[in-house]
Formats: sequence, C-alpha cells, structure tokens
Amino acid sequence: MSGWIIFIGLILLMLTGMPISIALGLTVLAFLFFMTDMPVEIVSQRLFTGLDQFAIMAIPFFILAGSFLTHGGVARRMIRFASALVGHLYGGLAMAGVFACALFAAVSGSSPATVVAIGTILIPAMEKQGYPRRFGVGAIGTAGVLGILIPPSIVMVIYSVSTNTSVGRLFIAGIVPGLLLAAILMGIVWVVAKRRNYPRMPRADLKEIFASFWDAIWGLLLIVVVIGGIYGGVFTPTEAAAMSAVYAFIIAVFVYRDLKLADVPRVLLDAANMSAMLLYIITNAILFSFLLTSENIPQAMAQWIIDKHLSAWVFLMGCNVLLLIAGNFMEPSSIVLLLAPILFPVAVKLGIDPIHFGIIMTINMEVGLIHPPVGLNLYVASGIARMGLTETTVAFAPWIVIMVLYLLLVTYVPDIAMWLPNAIYHRPG
Amino acid sequence: MLNRILDHLEEWLIATFMGLATLIIFASVLYRYTGDIPWIWQYTQVLNLTWAQELCIYLFIWMAKFGAAYGVRTGIHVGVDVLINRLPEKQRRVGVLLGLGAGAFFTAVVAALGAKFVWLMYGTGQVSPDLELPMWIVYLAVPLGSALMCYRFLQVAWRFRRGEPLPSHNHARVEGLQAEGRG
Repeated sequence: MSGWIIFIGLILLMLTGMPISIALGLTVLAFLFFMTDMPVEIVSQRLFTGLDQFAIMAIPFFILAGSFLTHGGVARRMIRFASALVGHLYGGLAMAGVFACALFAAVSGSSPATVVAIGTILIPAMEKQGYPRRFGVGAIGTAGVLGILIPPSIVMVIYSVSTNTSVGRLFIAGIVPGLLLAAILMGIVWVVAKRRNYPRMPRADLKEIFASFWDAIWGLLLIVVVIGGIYGGVFTPTEAAAMSAVYAFIIAVFVYRDLKLADVPRVLLDAANMSAMLLYIITNAILFSFLLTSENIPQAMAQWIIDKHLSAWVFLMGCNVLLLIAGNFMEPSSIVLLLAPILFPVAVKLGIDPIHFGIIMTINMEVGLIHPPVGLNLYVASGIARMGLTETTVAFAPWIVIMVLYLLLVTYVPDIAMWLPNAIYHRPG
Repeated sequence: MLNRILDHLEEWLIATFMGLATLIIFASVLYRYTGDIPWIWQYTQVLNLTWAQELCIYLFIWMAKFGAAYGVRTGIHVGVDVLINRLPEKQRRVGVLLGLGAGAFFTAVVAALGAKFVWLMYGTGQVSPDLELPMWIVYLAVPLGSALMCYRFLQVAWRFRRGEPLPSHNHARVEGLQAEGRG
C-alpha cells in the first residue's frame, strides 16, 4: 500500500518536470510528514550522512579527470594512434573512430564525454573524407557508449554504491563486454563501409605506428594507472580516481601543453558543477531508498516475485524492458540510483550474480544514452554535427537495434561478463 | 552587485574545494608509498595524513551542497520534461514555475531542518573522528548550501517570470574544443 503511494507520488512529481533530485526529496518529505511517525529531522541528517562514504568520492574525481582529458589533447593523439593501426581498412577513419572511443573509454568514465572528446575531432573529419554525415554521427555517437562500459565508469561506481558491490570487480567485469562491443561495432562499420565503398586511408608504416603510439603513450599509461592500480591493490578505486585526475592534469598542462594553467580553474568549476549535480541526486536517492527500505518495499517486491515462481530468465527480461523504458525518461545515474536498490535484492534471491547484474544495468543505460528523448550521447552528437534532432535520431536508429541485440547477448550469456572476474578472483561472486 | 559577489564566491568556493580534495588524496597516496624510502621519510614522518579521507569527504560534501546551488544557476539539474514541453506555452510556463517553486520549497524546508540539526549538534559538542572538527561546523554545509540553493531557485523563477530564458547546460560544448572544418 505505502509502496504504491510512494511510487505514484514520485511519478506525479517527476512528470511536472521538476529536477529528479527535488522530486525524490519531496516524496520522502511528504511521506514522512503525512504517513509516518518518523521525525522529519531525519531528512537533513540523511542528506549529510548519505554522502559520508569514501567510495562515492570516486565520482567527482573521475569527472575531474575526464574534464582534463577532454580539454587536454589526449583524444587527438589516441585518434592518430588508432588511425595508424586500422586506417587502411575499409571505412578506415570510422574504424579508427570506434577504436579511439574504446581507448578513450579506458581513461574516461563517462559516455557523453567520450563522444565530445572523439566526436568533435572525428565527425567533421569523416565528413570531409566523404562519409555521409549520418553514418559518422551514428557510429561515433554509439561507440561513445563504451565510456561507461570499459572501466573506469561512473555508472558502475554509482551501482556499486547503491548495492554495496565491489567497484573493482565491476570494472574488471566491464573489460571483456567492452572490448566485445568495440569489436562488434568495428565489424559492422567494416561491413557497411565495404559494401558502400567508403574511403580507406593509406596504410601507415611501422614508423608512423610507433611514432603515434609514442605520442599517445601518456594517455595510454593512464589505463595502466587506473586498472593496474586498482587490481594490483595499489589504490582503492577512489584513490585511483584522484590519481588519474592529478595525472590527467599534469599531462594536459605540462606534457601536451594543450591546456593553459590559467584555464585550470574553469575546468575545476565545470567538473564541480557536474559532480555536484550527481552528488545531489545521489543524496536524495539514498534518502529515497532509505524510505523504501524502512517501509520494507524491496523485500516485499522480492517476495512477490519469488512467490510468482518467476525464473531468472523472465526476471532479467522484465528488468531489461523496465530499464529500457526508464531510459526514455531519465538519465543513467538517476535510473541506477532509483532502480538498483529495488531490483538488486530480487536479482540476488534469484541467484543472479551481482556483478553480472551490474553489467546488464550498465548496458541498458548505454541504450538509453543513444535514443531520444533524453539520450545524452544523441544530444551531444547532434550538437557537434549541428544536425537536427530528428535526423540524428534516424542516424542512430540502426545502432539502437544492434545495441539491444548486444544487450540480450550479454544478459543471457553471463560468461561474457563473468569470465574475467571469475578467472582473476578465483571464485564467483 | 551583491549578487555578483555571491556568484563569484560560490564559484570560487566549489572550484577550490574540488582542487583541494584532489591534492589531499594525491598527497596521502604519495605519503603512503614514500614511507619506505628513508630519505623522504626523514622529512615526512612529522606529518600524519590519516585524516586525509575524512577531510576529502567533508570537502566534497561542501562542494556538493554549494555546487548544487551553482547548478541551479547553470541549469544542470534536469528533470523529466518530456510531458511539460508538449504543453501549450502558457501552461508550460505555469508548469515550469511550479517546478521551480517546488525546488525552492524543498530546499527551504531542508535548510530549516538542517539549521535545527546543526543547533542540536552544537549542543552535543560532538567532534569528527579523525580531524576532531566540531561536527556542527561540518554539518553547516546542509543549511547553508540548501538556503543558497533556495535563493537560486527563486532567482531563476523570478527571471523566468520576467521573460528571460531558463538556464540550460549544454553537454556538447566544451570550452576550447570546437568542431574543426565545416565552413
């Protein structure tokens, strides 16, 4: 009963268009005030203690690192390296674009940032080489989703915070699906490019491959810092995020010198703006899930689903549908914050691996990022290409189909995600 | 004039908190790994950086509370606007104002509750575990940040009523990064 009131209240408030964080907070406030004896004071305390966790602080650090990297010419060098490796194939520049997105995703935790970094350079360049603009926008905008699948990933940090799962394992679990997706996208680009005879670039000689690798080495080393640091037990994920922010600052300002020291406050402010928005949603969502838990709603839902004898197979299908629908209304972090605490207990009871479930949620979020009305990658790509939203949507349409098929593949073949973490940690879970 | 000072103070504060927190964690990691090197240890052993995590968390909480207010001004707090954007202009304006009003209401309530809580904390004299900072100062972020946020909501609503456009954050635009070629 109270569950219905909470959700209907939340949905009504959200439909008025007010910020999601405010809608969450108001729902909790109203429910506590009218329906329970709990003191409302708990709200202000929770708004503070909700954030009082070191793990959450990885988010602002990764955002800051991303800001430095987007500004810092790292993307340009990764594109050069990628072009040297795959540019001579059919659709060379587009292939290099997908490849560069995968490389950039390995240093950045955000998908829109990946599209900005790679797309700003590559979408116009592809058009100049004679690719139809739609193809460039669709390919790069879609490859940008790798940002949250290939570690580091802000969405995974949020999932781990709201479900108490290990970020390290989630990151490791994202590697194989991420590489697989990159390979699938490159394969598709290759087939389409061959059929439509898109331009190829001259084959780069070994010298250029080495020169471009050497030029990009500072950016590529960051992959080692983050993944190696976390897996090797050198840093906690939050520390790794802070190290990568400092590292990105140093290479952007002192090594590549694409960013002037005077621009640094601007970058800090940009990153703080984005982080504060996310942290604000996070606090309110933690407040909201605290209310749900104290009303026993996730437990009741879990019981209800168990009683229905739903199989894991059906449950996962339902989750995918629900998450894809939610992707029409909200951006990824809000969806994860809102739905992970509800779906997670059920998933665990049905014997689904928490890590696998996290990867499934992440891929769902990727699909949400590339379709209207709220897909950020779509908006970013349309902004870069100065292409209308309707046309951008058409450009993305075939890629959405591919992404949904890929989602089903990873959902029902758990080994894709779980093989690497199981191999590394020697035991499932 | 007063608004300008407030704007600058807000921006300056959150950017500083962000940078400071990063440096602190960086320093504490370096500190941990240079502990084995005698000639560095010689100089650094007087330091004790166990409080680094706590300070980082507090800095980020302050950054988050004030940054959320800054975010209202830059229009980064998004909602589900699919429905409301389809309404005719007049109803849409009412809806937007309602949303901003709800924001102002919520933040005002939180500011009041937060102030009460700070008062309570002040009475208990509780201090933080590592830094031994009085907790009421730390918790002050909630009422102060929330009050500022409330002010920002009212400000945006007031400007919107006068016919100015709503602030909106453009994720595709990064300073210093422009699309090349094309015309």
